[in-house]
Amino acid sequence: MTAITSLPRRAARFGGPTYDERNALVLIAPLATVLFAVAVFPILYSFYISLYGLKLTRPHRVPFVGLENYVTVLTDPQFWEAVGRTAAFSVMSVAAVAVIALLAALLLNEEFPGRRVLSAVLLVPWAIPYVANALMWKWIYDSNYGALNGLLYQLDFINSYMVWLGDADKTLALIANAFVWKEVPLAVILLLVGLKTIPADLYAAAKVDGANALQRFLHVTLPALKSSFALVIVYETMMAIRHFDLFFILTEGGPGDASHVVAWRIYVETFRNLNFGLGAAMSYILALATLALAYAVIRALAQRI
Amino acid sequence: MARITFKAVTKRYAGDVVAVRDLDLEIFDKEFVVLLGPSGCGKSTTLNMIAGLEEVTEGELWFDDEIVNTLPPHRRDVAMVFQSYALYPHKSVYENIAFGLRMRRVAAEEIDRRVRDAAAKLEISHLLQRRPSQLSGGQRQRVALGRAMVRQPAVFLMDEPLSNLDAALRISMRAEIKHLHTAMQTTFVYVTHDQAEALTLADRIVVMNDGVIQQIGAPDDIYERPRNTFVASFLGNPPINYLDGTIEGADGAVSFRRGGMRVALPPALAARLRGSPGREVKLGIRPEDVSRHGLGAETPAMEGIVDTVLPVGSDRFLGLKVEGCDVFVRVDKQAHHREGEPVRLALVPERLHVFDKASGLSLLADGAP
Amino acid sequence: MAGPSMADPTAAARAVRQARIRSRAGRVGRGLILLVASLVFLGYTLAPVVWLVSSSLQNEREIVSKPPHWIPHEPTLENFAAIFTAREKTVTYETRRAADPASGGFIPSTASNLLPALGNSLIVACAVVVLNLLVGVPSAYAMAKIRFRGRSASIYGILATRVIPDIALVVPFFLFIRNLGLLDSLWSLIITYLAVTVPFSVFILVSYFESLPDELDKAARVDGCSRWQTMTKVYVPLALPSLVAVMLFAFLASWNEFLLALMFTQTPKSQTLPIIVASFTSDFTISFSFINAAGVLAIVPPVLLALIFERYIVSGLTAGAVKG
Repeated sequence: MTAITSLPRRAARFGGPTYDERNALVLIAPLATVLFAVAVFPILYSFYISLYGLKLTRPHRVPFVGLENYVTVLTDPQFWEAVGRTAAFSVMSVAAVAVIALLAALLLNEEFPGRRVLSAVLLVPWAIPYVANALMWKWIYDSNYGALNGLLYQLDFINSYMVWLGDADKTLALIANAFVWKEVPLAVILLLVGLKTIPADLYAAAKVDGANALQRFLHVTLPALKSSFALVIVYETMMAIRHFDLFFILTEGGPGDASHVVAWRIYVETFRNLNFGLGAAMSYILALATLALAYAVIRALAQRI
Repeated sequence: MARITFKAVTKRYAGDVVAVRDLDLEIFDKEFVVLLGPSGCGKSTTLNMIAGLEEVTEGELWFDDEIVNTLPPHRRDVAMVFQSYALYPHKSVYENIAFGLRMRRVAAEEIDRRVRDAAAKLEISHLLQRRPSQLSGGQRQRVALGRAMVRQPAVFLMDEPLSNLDAALRISMRAEIKHLHTAMQTTFVYVTHDQAEALTLADRIVVMNDGVIQQIGAPDDIYERPRNTFVASFLGNPPINYLDGTIEGADGAVSFRRGGMRVALPPALAARLRGSPGREVKLGIRPEDVSRHGLGAETPAMEGIVDTVLPVGSDRFLGLKVEGCDVFVRVDKQAHHREGEPVRLALVPERLHVFDKASGLSLLADGAP
Repeated sequence: MAGPSMADPTAAARAVRQARIRSRAGRVGRGLILLVASLVFLGYTLAPVVWLVSSSLQNEREIVSKPPHWIPHEPTLENFAAIFTAREKTVTYETRRAADPASGGFIPSTASNLLPALGNSLIVACAVVVLNLLVGVPSAYAMAKIRFRGRSASIYGILATRVIPDIALVVPFFLFIRNLGLLDSLWSLIITYLAVTVPFSVFILVSYFESLPDELDKAARVDGCSRWQTMTKVYVPLALPSLVAVMLFAFLASWNEFLLALMFTQTPKSQTLPIIVASFTSDFTISFSFINAAGVLAIVPPVLLALIFERYIVSGLTAGAVKG
């Protein structure tokens, strides 16, 4: 037993990693490496680039310009117009997703024969690639042979084929429609989670209290859906603000500037004008705006709940 | 086949929550030790430290002559039975029992032999091909025991193994666990909050509260000579009664006094308390330590008014009002007391407990204040 | 409804009868509403896709009918045949001019890129799936079952990387990939898709592992498992449903991704299906029926996966919703 005291008191420590912590470190290391290299580092690097006048058209002269890129972006009226279009697109899209998804979720929350089929079908728009979604709607909207013209013509809503995507007044709404069609399924699934948590007793109690179907919906269903709605709105807003694929394939920002949104502007500035510094500055502004918006929406909803 | 020694062990979690404080404990080879205490007292943490599932923050943990502070569980020769049984849902009963042996690369025939042997002993041979989800609670419990048994470990750990069973099964399993210990000839450490389990099973009981050991001792020792009010209250059902009062020491006779009640203390206590008249103490009386018989002028006694009468078949419990205090006692069933009646009961002097009111420490124990 | 009329038996009977009639009418009404709603739902969700498939089965002449033929009058697999045989066929200006519509004229020269692109998409998606499991499962297990300093912070940190829009990361991504010399290589896509998909995978797995009891972890370790063995021998077999969900999400996200592929790939060597398909849409000389066939080709694998594994997908998304 004398050996006991002569041994170093290795256990009496606070700072060093424990066996479990060493294991956790090893198990998490691959993920940490990947995320650091391909997420954290780019985020920081992006900020660094945004401080330089990096243009691929003159790769050998990369002056430090400080916040000049940010000033350029923020004082450019075209940028603010793009922001306005992004905002309009997002508001339209998110509102439509919320309404359509709520209706679909209420339908799928009922028990009836065929419900299983409908919930499977629901996943079809969710699963298809945005590129395929885009070409599908491009074909539907086609002004010469498209299905939209054909349908409206056959139903006598229009006398002659119309221009759709090429009409600056309609472009954003039509792109939003394609976006909404693909985003609704996820929103439905999120809302269904909320609906499933409402105990049946609550409806029974409301019935006993003499509430009719509409009152039950307003006073039982909607309040219970609050947090699911919050999630849908935050998530879809983030998706709408950053959306790029449809703009690329359907309109390339056109006609004119009608669908020239922020995401498209970043792409054009970076990969067509090869002005990386400016593109990075714009990206950073978009990222910060997204973060701020998400935070604000979550805070606002958290306070109300 | 291991002696487990804690030397000044402290377990601290993040945020400086102390689960176990400065624990000194020696568990002898082949001993059956029960860690007893309310939930959150640190008994499970202590067990987990023996298993290696939680690391010792400070101090030393020894298995025989080896420090095992940083030895992970799979390198310790311990087996464990859990409250929820923790059977692997995706494995058959056979594979559940065999898993620990497979992980230790025991030869296949040896595994088979041990699994079938254990299954036969536990009478679950017919269940070997089932999945845990197809078993009853009692059967799962047996599989969990089997899984630990086949390992023939140096230390056998049990964390509230009977808490999820119904009352009848719990009592019969106690006997089986006792037999298992005799048969296995190995060190058992058993965690429970159930004092009856502890009293039945243990060679020694370690009573813990708030991460600190309150008392270590044989079951009778702990029950009859609790070191403080916590231990006294935790063991015994219904629990011990306390009467607050003061010491009166007139010459040779020392007694406890509360209002009009005066109880002469036995000589051992009297000798110890002679010097401190007026000291505030708690008198502890276990419900079974009263008697309707042997009442004499000299015997200490307690007078009260019957408040409630609770017959429980073999006995009868009385709720009394004694000097403004509620006291619960057990009397034989021949006693026919009615509510509102005055009653006088003899106290057994050797079985009285006296605790310091402020510290809660027993004044009977060695080294008492 | 029985309350006030209980005293009068005939009134009570009448009330019960009325309630029954009302409830039967209510049932019929409910059925009608559900039927109409279901039809609207089906129409909204499926009509565009059905129309896409229908027009991919029409030939050059039929596709330009006014009004459109909703159901092809002369259904043909010509467009699909063209995709799968494009490699052998040399498409020149002459063959194009001479081609009669039924034999697959107006097939772009880039059509021969479709099959390799399909292959690229498959390789990338499968690699991302495998890497997601290799990287995601150990870290999710650690975060769910090992107590270490900074555990909850790391979970939120991982999710937070997904709040930044991909479009905001393209510049550093591009420079990063270029400096590694990985432009126009499948690796550029595999690495970036992994970073994009793995946070959600970890999130799903963490919530699933957390739902499994801690005592299983303890039992396995006392039984002789190291941390790694506990994970592979106990938790991975038990987490199969969530692993399927993770695999599906990673596959679909990689299969469908467009923006990053647009940045990093330049030649058919590394271009994925969405890139080739997208390149058709801006070419006005290509027949819509052929483009639609390419679109159908891009749609079929993910839609099939989604329909087959519907249960896992919904439970995976639901796990995210409940925790988030």
